[in-house]
Amino acid sequence: MFRFILHRLGMAVPTLLLISVMVFALIRFIPGDPALLMLGDMADAQSLAQMRSSLGLDHSVVTQYLIWIKSVLSGDLGFSISTRQAVLPLLLERFSVSATIVLVAVALATLIAVPVGLFAAWKQNSAMDLGLVAGATLLLSIPSFWLGLLLLYAFGIKLGWLPVVGYVTFADDPLKAITYLVLPIVTLTLVEFGAIARMARASTIEVLRLDYIAHARAKGLSEGAVLWRHALRNAFAPTWTLVGLILGNLLGGIAVLETVFTLPGVGRLMVDSIFARDYPVLQGCLLLITCIYVLVNLCVDLLYPLFDPRVKL
Amino acid sequence: MHHYVKKALYFGVPTLSLCLAALTLQAGEPSLIKVGFNGDIRSTEPGVNRDENSDAFIMHIVEGLVAYREDASVGPMLAKDVTISDDGLTYTFTLREGVKFQNGKPLTAEDVKWTWQHYLDPKTQWRCLPEFDGRGVSKILDISVPEPLKVVFRIDKPNGVLLATMSRPDCGGSGIVHPDSVAADGTWIAPIGTGPFTLGQWKQGQYVELNRFKDYTPRAEAKPDGFTGNKQAFVDRVRFVVIPDAASAKAALLSGGVDVLPDVTAMDEAELKNVPGMQVRTSPVMTLGGLLFQTRDPLLGDVRIRRAVALSLDYSQMVATLSNGLSTVNNSIIPTTSAYYDATAHTGYPYDLDEARRLLKAAGYHGQPIKLIVNKRYPQMFDMGVLSQAMLQAVGVNIVLETLEWGAQLERYQSGNFQMMAFSYSPRFDAALSYESVTGNKDKEPRKVWDNPKALVLLREAQSESVAPKRQALFDQLHTLMLADVPMVMIYNGTSIGVVKAGIEGYRSWPISKPRLWGVSLAATSK
Repeated sequence: MFRFILHRLGMAVPTLLLISVMVFALIRFIPGDPALLMLGDMADAQSLAQMRSSLGLDHSVVTQYLIWIKSVLSGDLGFSISTRQAVLPLLLERFSVSATIVLVAVALATLIAVPVGLFAAWKQNSAMDLGLVAGATLLLSIPSFWLGLLLLYAFGIKLGWLPVVGYVTFADDPLKAITYLVLPIVTLTLVEFGAIARMARASTIEVLRLDYIAHARAKGLSEGAVLWRHALRNAFAPTWTLVGLILGNLLGGIAVLETVFTLPGVGRLMVDSIFARDYPVLQGCLLLITCIYVLVNLCVDLLYPLFDPRVKL
Repeated sequence: MHHYVKKALYFGVPTLSLCLAALTLQAGEPSLIKVGFNGDIRSTEPGVNRDENSDAFIMHIVEGLVAYREDASVGPMLAKDVTISDDGLTYTFTLREGVKFQNGKPLTAEDVKWTWQHYLDPKTQWRCLPEFDGRGVSKILDISVPEPLKVVFRIDKPNGVLLATMSRPDCGGSGIVHPDSVAADGTWIAPIGTGPFTLGQWKQGQYVELNRFKDYTPRAEAKPDGFTGNKQAFVDRVRFVVIPDAASAKAALLSGGVDVLPDVTAMDEAELKNVPGMQVRTSPVMTLGGLLFQTRDPLLGDVRIRRAVALSLDYSQMVATLSNGLSTVNNSIIPTTSAYYDATAHTGYPYDLDEARRLLKAAGYHGQPIKLIVNKRYPQMFDMGVLSQAMLQAVGVNIVLETLEWGAQLERYQSGNFQMMAFSYSPRFDAALSYESVTGNKDKEPRKVWDNPKALVLLREAQSESVAPKRQALFDQLHTLMLADVPMVMIYNGTSIGVVKAGIEGYRSWPISKPRLWGVSLAATSK
């Protein structure tokens, strides 16, 4: 397994290098000049040239890349053009916010959706199954920002139970931090619930048709034992792959939800940095997302044998 | 007796408890007003690495020698008075006595000199340096301190907009800061100004706070007046909460997450004004919204086509739609709130479709597509483009909308690479500054839309002149010339719409649009 991990991490190095070149080049192809965005409609040519020079944008793109990648390799992602903050601490701070929400929401969604999917598969084509499938499809179809705004309106404005905007860290006030996180976590849980439940249902239906399930039933095992002990383990493997993909996708940023709930997460940071053409922050964000994808996929692969003993690493 | 004691306890204890609780709250809990901001500030350095929010924030901490009044005229702030020599080359500022910096040290003329030297140092990267180093109307030759409370600026050429430029919020109001604001190596630490608030906690991406400066020395006027007047703070803390999404900001206001939203859309205004407990504050502002033409374009180089476009727009209908009935039509680049907006400036383009058709025919226009750049970051620019497209169809002008991201549009504006563009200029608080933003030599400054030598001469005169009636005459000539040249079609000035919760007293919108939290208090019920 150790060799597998080393191999996968080794494979990630050229991927990250390639991504760094692509990210660097692509960002600079986007029309829009960070110096111009900072100076606005009053910018004269000399001020623009001075600003570009102070931001290091007067070098050739290749030179800029070499300077940047040298810093990255020494663990320095540079400074934000907009706020002059160091990018690495900024990214880590913002990532902790996004990661808290995503990890809790995906864990909750999985814990609820898998049993629901299992139950729906067991009751396939019954009214209960149809109801659950319809509910999951509905949740899958609702845009997260709209659901977020609905919850915000109901629990923040109408009932006044939860705060509408802002964020408090756990270190500052754990109880208050929870009140600020409830709505975004519930929104994300509901949105992701649909996809996971449908996958769990589909893979369970497939498993329930297999001979070994018929054999287990013939042995006289209770339906509960058949489902939980025999069907779940096999049916969960594809669901786990989906959970991994969702995690990788969401950890890269939940910009829309972060904007609706005004959370200082990495997604919002990335969107802001695109609008401001804040190249160092944007490069840092994209590099972070690539690393997350690589690591999440690695973790999923490492945990796969737990659910499917046929898989060997 | 026992009965009365019980009764007294029954009613008295809770009443006493409530009174005590109220007193404790009043004495112990500092008063706080939460204001919604659509983005975080960029830095705390006046006029350096700034944007609209940074400017609004820093103007609470620092004050300049002069500042904009409520009517966008310029008045003294840290200066007691300002005298200008007859030749217009020497400005003498006498400072108010007893003004203290937020670190407790007294304000002196040496501090003013030090601050200005800091701003004029290219290493500071002060946004407004080009206005004072000779690239603009004039150059500051020398700053001297003849007396402890007197500072003298000498410039090379007369400059009618010197004080107006000094007061600009995007220049940080040329706010005077204590030298301790800057480290020995010249790097910025934090602003130590003379304003009514000091810098509080800044949680980047979340909020930034101001604390009341308890030893603030207000001016003698009875009330605040724009960025000057009596700027006494009445609340202990102000928190600017970062809420980028407009719907979330509205939800925050309705749920009590914020007390003030300084800038809401006209659509939201229509909804919020009917919500009990909300107060709407509107004011015309000095943003300049209109359509720009590239006069070097083979098609739009013909003034007849540009004029036909100007005559085909139903401005009343357009402005009513764009502003939900809150703004008025203005075909002049001088904002309606300017002291220089007179009857001549009020003259605009008539709505004359027959004349437009005649001009187009004479110019040989037969439906060639004209690209009009819009963006969706600023909905009013997009809507302006869509409405123009629809109205111009009536005379056969074939407008093709090209939607760009704002950064890309700004780049096209800067390079002059466009045919037509729906654009909004940030506020210019002097008529000469408004004309300066559009007038110039396209070979040197491609962003300038009006390249007319006669206009440039008139503008230079207006920039040097400081006598109001003479300036007015020059602006009138410029307006008449611009209507004839049609390098752009000005359509309207925006409206600042602020919404505050009931219980917030003293908050006002104004032509310069920036929120001001001095002079604002919490009614007893909302503390």
